[in-house]
Amino acid sequence: MSSMRPQSGGIPLDEDENVGFYYRFPDCFRRTADGVELRLPRWEGTILAELVRLIDGMLEPPPVDDPLEALVGLRDTAPPPPEDPAVARLLPDPYPDDPLASGDFRRRRTDDALAHKRAAARRVLATLPGPDEVLLLDEEAAQDWLTTLNDLRLVLGTRLGITDDNYLDELGELPPDDQRAPFVEMYELLTTLVDNLVQALF
Amino acid sequence: MELPPSGKVAAEWVTIGIVTATTVSPADIEEIDEELSDDRPWVTVVWNDPINLMSYVTYVFQKLFGYDKATAQKLMLDVHRKGRASVSNGTRDEMERDAARLHTYGLWATVIQD
Repeated sequence: MSSMRPQSGGIPLDEDENVGFYYRFPDCFRRTADGVELRLPRWEGTILAELVRLIDGMLEPPPVDDPLEALVGLRDTAPPPPEDPAVARLLPDPYPDDPLASGDFRRRRTDDALAHKRAAARRVLATLPGPDEVLLLDEEAAQDWLTTLNDLRLVLGTRLGITDDNYLDELGELPPDDQRAPFVEMYELLTTLVDNLVQALF
Repeated sequence: MELPPSGKVAAEWVTIGIVTATTVSPADIEEIDEELSDDRPWVTVVWNDPINLMSYVTYVFQKLFGYDKATAQKLMLDVHRKGRASVSNGTRDEMERDAARLHTYGLWATVIQD
């Protein structure tokens, strides 16, 4: 597990570390008497919209191969485990030592799990506030935002190959032309947003 | 392990299978089955992962299981330091539902028989 760290949640704007000038991700979620308020500056909103669209395609249910099963809309055979490690991370196997139970779980649960995540992601995308708007989240909407932001973190974290808590030692020092660099920034943004929303919900 | 009296009947019934219909009614069997499965409860286990935030995991334990903050934090630290923690126990169906709810929140949960 990782924790929020002092250097987390910011993009260095100057390569000279002594300047110490960082763009801090703002606190976007704020608890009020009516619920949780969300304000998204333009850059953060644009990035989030792109990421949610990206994850939507990954949440497509696996095809039903048997024509009769497809016709009646019932899945009688287990879909194979996800090939994409990021999708696999979104759908953990509760029975890693029991292939039969594992397949049976996938047959009964995969479609619902993906549909649930996709519906939450689409509600987030549909309600994404513009730069001058304030979105008031009730409890249900707050859970949509929380699970979607966390799913995005899991996908980006898996893609970036984050395997331990010291990932910034390596990934925080990438040269600007490294194609992973912008994704590290997005990952840091998501870290800030998830922690920010959790603190507002506690 | 010392089984309770009805558990002993159940154990004999399962291992030997020579209980006649006159001594065990269907209602008895139902009761025995329940007690047998109670002997070895199923458990939902959450595993450490390098991505989920500690604050987030604590919140999810509170939200899904109604734990107070201190309990949720202790479980979260168990996951963090020991690599795993049992977060609930019950029937297999119940544990599978718990695991699925934890998966909705992106936690790495498995189901095992204790």
